[in-house]
Amino acid sequence: MSAVAKSTSEILTWVADIFETPADGIRPETKRDEIDAWDSLGILTLIARMDEDFQVLLTEDEIQELRSVGDIIEVLRRHGGVADNP
Amino acid sequence: MAPGRSIEAEHVFDAGEDFFRDHFPGFPVVPGVLLTEMMGQTAALCLDAESRRTGRGKAMLAQIRTASFREWVRPGEKATVKAEIRSNRPELATAACSVEVGGRRASSAELLFSFLPLGNFAPGYRDEVLESYLASRQREKG
Repeated sequence: MSAVAKSTSEILTWVADIFETPADGIRPETKRDEIDAWDSLGILTLIARMDEDFQVLLTEDEIQELRSVGDIIEVLRRHGGVADNP
Repeated sequence: MAPGRSIEAEHVFDAGEDFFRDHFPGFPVVPGVLLTEMMGQTAALCLDAESRRTGRGKAMLAQIRTASFREWVRPGEKATVKAEIRSNRPELATAACSVEVGGRRASSAELLFSFLPLGNFAPGYRDEVLESYLASRQREKG
């Protein structure tokens, strides 16, 4: 369980910050291939920030599941990192 | 050094180093890129000391997440490099690093590392991407 929980809108802003992209272009349905910086280095940054900001350590299977911003929100929700309900 | 957790190192830049002639003429200071490289290499030593036990591979600087430079580092000054490992996972690590001179923080950086298999550094190892690039250059030359 994450020690920190954020609202869905805060997580969208957080994702935009990680991938250095404008927040208004990030929605749950945004796909990985629509975000330029979501490459191999971007994945490492995402994993590191999940650990540092949410104290969430993803498994290799969970990392493979991440194909959209919505997947990031869902994996955070499973670890208690999302404060609001879907 | 506490392998995988923290490390402290020292270095004095000799006034005769080539780069001081250009950086800057009449006002020699250590370039920020070298301070960043010092922090990266120091943190990587700390990670590699642990990885020798775990077999994780060699730490490679993958991203400079933040870097700031507050004070000059001049020839002959003793630079103390510190690194604290934050995230430390099989596939990545992050480190909070600093360079201090005379007790003052000259530079700080947050760095991200990935790990390469030790086999990639073995004599005779041929990197697939590099080989492909060299082959394409060769074809261009005809």
